[in-house]
Amino acid sequence: MALKQISSNKCFGGLQKVFEHDSVELNCKMKFAVYLPPKAETEKCPALYWLSGLTCTEQNFISKSGYHQAASEHGLVVIAPDTSPRGCNIKGEDESWDFGTGAGFYVDATEDPWKTNYRMYSYVTEELPQLINANFPVDPQRMSVFGHSMGGHGALICALKNPGKYKAYDATNLVKSYRGSQLDILIDQGKDDQFLLDGQLLPDDFIAACTEKKIPVVFRLQEGYDHSYYFIATFITDHIRHHAKYLNA
Amino acid sequence: VEEESGQELGLDRSTAKDFHFYHMDLHDSEDRLQLFPEENTRMRKEVVQAEMANESRGAGDGKAQRDLQEEVDELVHLYGLEDDHELGDEFVDENMPRTGVSEYPPYVMKRRDPAREQRDWRLSGETVEAEDLGFGGWGSAGQCQDLREAYRYTPGRASEEYECYVIPEEEDEEEAADVFCVTCKTPIRAFQKVFDEHKEHEVIPLNEALESAKDEIHKNMYKLEKQIIEMENFANHLEEVFITVEENFGKQEQNFESHYNEILETLAQKYEEKIQALGEKKKEKLEALYGQLVNCGENLDTCKELMETIEEMCHEEKVDFIKDAVAMADRLGKFLKAKTDVEISAQPEFEDQTLDFSDVEQLMGSINTIPAPSAPVINPQAPNSATGSSVRVCWSLYSDDTVESYQLSYRPVQDSSPGKDQAAPSPPIIKTKEIRSCEEAVLICWESGNLNPVDSYTVELTQAESPEASDVTESVVGIPTCESLVQLQPGRSYIIYVRALNTGGPSVRSEPAAVHTIGSYFRLNKDTCHPWLIISEDGLSVVRSERRIPARDLSSSDTRFTRCVAVMGNLIPVRGHHYWEVEVDEHLDYTVGVAFEDVTKQEDLGANCLSWCMRHTFASSRHKYEFLHNRTTPDIRITVPPKKIGILLDYENSKLSFFNVDLSQHLYTFSCQLHEFVHPCFSLENPGCLKVHNGISMPKHVTFY
Repeated sequence: MALKQISSNKCFGGLQKVFEHDSVELNCKMKFAVYLPPKAETEKCPALYWLSGLTCTEQNFISKSGYHQAASEHGLVVIAPDTSPRGCNIKGEDESWDFGTGAGFYVDATEDPWKTNYRMYSYVTEELPQLINANFPVDPQRMSVFGHSMGGHGALICALKNPGKYKAYDATNLVKSYRGSQLDILIDQGKDDQFLLDGQLLPDDFIAACTEKKIPVVFRLQEGYDHSYYFIATFITDHIRHHAKYLNA
Repeated sequence: VEEESGQELGLDRSTAKDFHFYHMDLHDSEDRLQLFPEENTRMRKEVVQAEMANESRGAGDGKAQRDLQEEVDELVHLYGLEDDHELGDEFVDENMPRTGVSEYPPYVMKRRDPAREQRDWRLSGETVEAEDLGFGGWGSAGQCQDLREAYRYTPGRASEEYECYVIPEEEDEEEAADVFCVTCKTPIRAFQKVFDEHKEHEVIPLNEALESAKDEIHKNMYKLEKQIIEMENFANHLEEVFITVEENFGKQEQNFESHYNEILETLAQKYEEKIQALGEKKKEKLEALYGQLVNCGENLDTCKELMETIEEMCHEEKVDFIKDAVAMADRLGKFLKAKTDVEISAQPEFEDQTLDFSDVEQLMGSINTIPAPSAPVINPQAPNSATGSSVRVCWSLYSDDTVESYQLSYRPVQDSSPGKDQAAPSPPIIKTKEIRSCEEAVLICWESGNLNPVDSYTVELTQAESPEASDVTESVVGIPTCESLVQLQPGRSYIIYVRALNTGGPSVRSEPAAVHTIGSYFRLNKDTCHPWLIISEDGLSVVRSERRIPARDLSSSDTRFTRCVAVMGNLIPVRGHHYWEVEVDEHLDYTVGVAFEDVTKQEDLGANCLSWCMRHTFASSRHKYEFLHNRTTPDIRITVPPKKIGILLDYENSKLSFFNVDLSQHLYTFSCQLHEFVHPCFSLENPGCLKVHNGISMPKHVTFY
């Protein structure tokens, strides 16, 4: 599959690039961002996938989170895809901010008119990794996933659904029936996050499920922090180190 | 030309807004030169070449020289110089390695007659245009044209304006000095030598004069530099002395003040004593006198009573009178027989008491004496501080002392004369249970093993790989106390011995102690242990039993925990990394972490700012985890309760981290200011057991933190 480089910027000794390609799963042109650390010049590096939240594109994470220094130091290739198919002209896809464009939820749609294009789960777990493995110096055996908000949930379901075959797409439910290899999950939650205060996020349920199933989780409620990229930027280094611990072991 | 003048003299460009002024850096590359019309450029090029040759100290090749000469000739023609020799000389001279001469050519140029310059330039403008001078890369003809227009404008300017940009140095602006009159110390022209004033004088070529002038300046510069260093050092020295004066003043003041106060106190005391003594004396006397007065009064009363009775009797009938008179006579006789004391018992005068001021006198006397300084403390001998024939001795003194000088004396201990028959001391006994180590050092302490004091101790180390070989790899001598912190290599095993030394020689080796520099090794400290805890024999486990001593028997203590059921470990006081693990029970309420040695023993761990710890509470089947410091904790949930907790203490990065060892899971990291050494601390909130594992290397996952 042909990749077209859109941009390339040197950052912390590595290269932050953006590519475009024709996606088979999503039936449209898709962009994704790739950071190649200095180590990638000489050897294959582990791959860390970042899934962004609602309304984001491949740009938000790479310009606002300040993750490059940690990624450079730990020698990780970081891939940040877009959050939904673009330009498919499906009726109703732009009506609300949390459904349709920019709101792929990392799931595969089962109904029309969405099911032709809205297949973000398959894109993120199959097509994109294959593309990355074929075109960049990454080690296909060492792969990790993390994300924020909708992307955080996406990360959890990707991890929990693979390996294993499950019908459900709710992380809390998934955890209850997870029977895979050992996980080590780190979750940061801003205490002043509006979504938390509104009751849209239900971390307690997830934690309770993990406690019962003895899935190791460290959940940190961060005083004064909200949902924004300022919050992401503050803790991204801890998360990258968390992944590096396993990817570089 | 005016460009150059402007450049050199810092022309105010605003005076000629109509001109296209191009930046003329004389050291620009050839590219720059494109902007200028050929002849100007050529001239500049000569100047540039001359200077570049100059700058590279004669590295200009022969070609440049030759070109230069040609160009010089052309220039000479261009400017209609009358004295070819002068200009030519300047240029040729420049190729000699010299600095500072680069100023010369432009300077020379400026002295052209302005009118003449303009005329010549205009004249030669057309001719040059046609030539191919072989300087590639010129600007377009149009460009040159524009420039020439600009330059053509110049004749319109009043010549006065030109003149003010020319620096008149000598009266004759046409000709430059080329020799130097040593006698008059002034540059002159060669022909001036012929004149009267300079006829007899010594004259040297200008270049020579230049050389010597420059040498002179360089020498002086060198001297100046030296002086700068000297003065700076002196300033520093002064500052030191300044500070020392303050310090010495402080000492003197303190000394005098304390003496003086002592004297005043003694005097005050004497005053009080004397006054009190006098007062008592007075009381004594007055009481005695009063007593006498009372007696006297009584006596008088009795006398008077008798008198009255007698008077009454005299008025009685004869028979009654006789009866009473006999009785009275009897009574009177008795009364009068009793002696009356008419001696004054207390004298009004107070004896003169001489006070004893000898102690005050002594104090006054000693106020002028300087106390002898306290004995200095000799530092333990540092490794590598001795050779076969010399040894380096270091000592420290008490800051209160004023010291003028030191006297160092020594005597050999070995090979002492047979006359001295003092026996060598007995070997010390290493306190193996109190050994603490880390990857870089070990802290050993021992009992002297001798009743009499010894002069010093020696610690000997061997690497344990070859235990048979009694080769000592390292020894630390001159240790004054029964304790030593020895630096070691990480990842090795050592055997340690101690010897005692006195004038009779060294003792035999003590029993050995083994040390492994893997991880950090420590034991739990019995002295800090809460009475309800029992430490195991190996010093690594602690148990809280069901039974307990009644709380009222627990008195407050500085070393022992009395409220919080806790114990501290004795970690070696060395900065760096320390890692240990604690085995816990999931259902146990416990607290583990670190604390400063002087943490309040009456408070819970983590309740003050002298301790950092992780606390687990198990209640209603729920595990609660807190990371406490100064009573605050972040809000953290952990889903899988750890059975073994790894603790990493990192002095360098001021961090304390906790891990679930079995899952290689990071739990939390404190950032903590560790201005002093801390020790591991453990507490049990309900009956149970904690087991410490140490002397182990850090697992890989921990190294990420």
